[in-house]
Amino acid sequence: MANEKEVVLSVRNIDINYGEGKHVFKAVKDVSFDIYKGETFALVGESGSGKTTIGRAIVRINPVANGEILYKGKKISGNLSRKEDLEVVKKIQMIFQDPAASLNERATVEYIVSEGLINFHLYNSEEERHEKCEKALKDVGLLPEHLTRYPHEFSGGQRQRIGIARSLVMEPDFIVADEPISALDVSIRAQVLNLLKKFQAERGLTYLFIAHDLSVVRFISDRIAVISKGRIVELAETEELFKNPIHPYTRSLMSAIPIPDPIIEKRKQLYEYEPAKEHDYSVEEPTFQEILPNHFVLANSAEFAKYKAKLVGNKK
Amino acid sequence: MKKKYIPINEPVVKPAVVEEISDKDLDGLFVYAQKDSGDSEKIDAPRYSYWRSVFRVFFSRKLNWVMFGILLVILLLAFIWPAISGYDGSSHPYINTPSEHYLMPSWYSVFTIFMNSEDAAEFMTKVSTTRLSLFGTDQTGDQLWDVIWSGTKTSLELAFICTAINMTVGIIVGAVWGYSKKFDKIMTEVYNVIANVPFLLIIMIFMYVMGRGFWNLVIAMTVTGWMGIAYFIRTQVIIIRDREYNLASRCLGTPISRMVTKNILPYLTSVIVTIVANELPSYISYEVFLTYLGVGLDPSKPSLGVTINTYTTYMDQNPHLFWIPVGVAALVTITLYVIGQSLGDASDPRTHMM
Amino acid sequence: MNEKEIVETPVTTTEKVSTPVEEIKKDIYSTDNVVISLKNVEVQFQVRARVLTAIRNVSLDIYDGESIAIVGESGSGKSVLTKTFTGMLDDNGKITSGEIWFEGMDLSKVETSAAWAKIRGVKIATVFQDPMTSLNPIKSIGSQIAEVIIKHQHKSKEEARLMSIELMNKVGIPNAEQRYGEYPFQYSGGMRQRIVIAIALACHPKILICDEPTTALDVTIQAQIIKLVKDLQKEYNYTTVYITHDLGVVASVADRVAVLYAGQIIEIGKVEEIFYDPRHPYTWALLSSLPQLAERGDKLFSIEGTPPSLYHKVVGDAFAPRNQFALKVDFVKEPPMFQVTSTHFAKTWLLDPRAPKIEKPITIQDLHKKMQKRDVKFD
Repeated sequence: MANEKEVVLSVRNIDINYGEGKHVFKAVKDVSFDIYKGETFALVGESGSGKTTIGRAIVRINPVANGEILYKGKKISGNLSRKEDLEVVKKIQMIFQDPAASLNERATVEYIVSEGLINFHLYNSEEERHEKCEKALKDVGLLPEHLTRYPHEFSGGQRQRIGIARSLVMEPDFIVADEPISALDVSIRAQVLNLLKKFQAERGLTYLFIAHDLSVVRFISDRIAVISKGRIVELAETEELFKNPIHPYTRSLMSAIPIPDPIIEKRKQLYEYEPAKEHDYSVEEPTFQEILPNHFVLANSAEFAKYKAKLVGNKK
Repeated sequence: MKKKYIPINEPVVKPAVVEEISDKDLDGLFVYAQKDSGDSEKIDAPRYSYWRSVFRVFFSRKLNWVMFGILLVILLLAFIWPAISGYDGSSHPYINTPSEHYLMPSWYSVFTIFMNSEDAAEFMTKVSTTRLSLFGTDQTGDQLWDVIWSGTKTSLELAFICTAINMTVGIIVGAVWGYSKKFDKIMTEVYNVIANVPFLLIIMIFMYVMGRGFWNLVIAMTVTGWMGIAYFIRTQVIIIRDREYNLASRCLGTPISRMVTKNILPYLTSVIVTIVANELPSYISYEVFLTYLGVGLDPSKPSLGVTINTYTTYMDQNPHLFWIPVGVAALVTITLYVIGQSLGDASDPRTHMM
Repeated sequence: MNEKEIVETPVTTTEKVSTPVEEIKKDIYSTDNVVISLKNVEVQFQVRARVLTAIRNVSLDIYDGESIAIVGESGSGKSVLTKTFTGMLDDNGKITSGEIWFEGMDLSKVETSAAWAKIRGVKIATVFQDPMTSLNPIKSIGSQIAEVIIKHQHKSKEEARLMSIELMNKVGIPNAEQRYGEYPFQYSGGMRQRIVIAIALACHPKILICDEPTTALDVTIQAQIIKLVKDLQKEYNYTTVYITHDLGVVASVADRVAVLYAGQIIEIGKVEEIFYDPRHPYTWALLSSLPQLAERGDKLFSIEGTPPSLYHKVVGDAFAPRNQFALKVDFVKEPPMFQVTSTHFAKTWLLDPRAPKIEKPITIQDLHKKMQKRDVKFD
């Protein structure tokens, strides 16, 4: 839970496009949110929703077409001087999804973990660098002897931990975790999640956790933003979202997740959602509005009234 | 025979004991076992070394041993024998001794067993007797054996130099081409024009203008020879450039120079070896062809092309003069190619798994 | 099931869970209702100079009309197992021992592709994970379905076309007649998977194998596909063999569950038995790692280490090195299958009368109550 309401990352009305001119694809449309220090903020959506695109824009892999991204008040999107760019790299790091593709197969674990340190010469001697690598590996539960090995000699879970060690050795403040557990076996996911939580508690890290699995997200995040087709449709604190899902997309997402309980599953009714039928934006475009304290939903005024009425009706 | 089982103190047990255990013997074992927590992370496979694996995979095929052996013999002969024989095409000591001209290889004498004594006697006059000759002699009385190895040396030198230049320029240009979008735009246009002109035609034009000669041929072959390689490398770079591990390196602030050397090029080892495998023999073939057309090497300096060209006229009378150089040229080409392909496969880390 | 040692243990259910009234099916778990039977099957792969034993002595009876889920993580052998009954093992793989009885034939002895052509796609069909690679990108969707019908049911082109459109409707493709001539790239991922199902059902197979058919799809599409397979089962009466690693999907689709670890079935039973009364420590571990059971402040349960390498012969219980409840005997001898009920079996020494009596971990006790609390209810 975020105790201090200090905003660490601020995303303001960003658009992100792929391609140019006639063939432009608007991947992200007018997205805004703030992330507070020490919290785990989850961005949940399905494939093609734009969640990974946003994550990559924050670490400056994708350029932002409109709007801006601010880190601790300073702009980090758009053109930066080399010095500013390096500052961002040191403070914001990313953990990638695919443990098979996110490590350089032809480099030793030592090089992989040290890469950032070498880039900025964040050490005084070779021994110090080596020590930092050893410590990073130990922190993620691997052995120092693994430094001389190659990625393909490890299992998926171990590789993901190497990826985490690589980010953490930079001592960042903010980490974008892009579906860090989706590619892992179910019983291994917990190892990675536990590690992430441990580091957050020890080092005061802030996470942007990108995922498509709401049940995992429920366990680790403080606030959740649901994104669909490039727009954020709902944003609320975790338990509030699960108690009162308002936007039909959120409801369909929750209804679709299979619960590991045979009796519940066999009785379940699937809530189907067809955007074209549910929304009529021909007259009025929707805006992102607060419907309950700290609970926002994307709706035009007609829909907003409808949702409000339903909430009141439920309370009775 | 029932074996006695060993009471377990640590988790490891030798398999030999297991089969014979009857149910009763297990009675004492239904208690909790101690485990060492670090063990689950240990990797017990031996350490992986890239190049050792490459050669292990390469030499696991018998064909590669054979090809490697043949190539080794050819290389040794090509680079050592000319020093021993002293032959370089400039002097012909037996040119005025007709009896030494057009002699057949010494070991042809075995064929006399199929002939009657008259034919045999006539046959033997054509076989070299005063000098041991493996390949016979040519119209100037020179040993074909000397001529061939000097020629092979020149051809191989040509192939190695041209390949080295084209690969180096091609890889550097290709890497930049693949990485920089701006450069891509310009370079692709240039490439589209040049690539559509047949390579041989370009070489022939250059040679026609500059005249025959070794270094002229090198220049002609390397002026545009690197382009095809650069294009290929560029395509590979584009494929690899956006993979997650490269994005990760960018996130960590790795400069482009190190991205190329540590992230991109190591992945291209297999591809590069395969390209070299195709390049080397192709220059030998080009040289033979061009010399045949008269725009290749100077006939005074021996090369495989020169040799074959010169001896074509003797194809009917003294076929060994023609076919042996052709055979050697073919053998060099084939071995280089097969080894290159196998080495290319072996360089691919996916073939190292288990 | 024929197992070497069957020991009766008293059934202990720690929670009373009643089965919903409308779900009481006729008892299909009788031996004359077996549609396919695996007996002591072993599958080995030749990888370079080494031998990998992917399936180590699996015996399994699958009953007609049931829906059985095979659960396992990567390396457990779950895909390999089902490939044995369609002859789709990789070239370097072989069934080295055991038998697979289907319609009076031993499938492990079928060699020729002509013989397999009569079974695969016709009697036993598979739906794979990636619909893009299952479909031919340069042939129209309709023709791919029709082709199967023409080949195996010997119908005319026009009849096949009508039957294909009918199938497309059944699997939920809107405007089937218009979309008949379209190509795979014009369909979304979920639609393509529906077509793959249509092709699989074209010949009314007896067994439909679904090999992680929804892993590559979004969760909303996944829910639709799962529902489709279940609905169609009522109509077509096939047996579903569902391969997955997702316990949520298992709860949704399965009547019975077989849990696979390191090439062996370590527990099998009705879905309620597996979820509410699991007996094998690996099943406990799988259930314990469900995020729905975790409390926010706590650590999530995880199994340390990795599965054993199947290049070496496994001594004792394969799960022992990672098992927090391991007994010394687990490292010495492989446990036999112990019987818990007539439908529930587990391969663990903990069910031996000599073993210490342990309860399943607290995390997974009262599973149903905990899930109910976490369930999102909306109208």
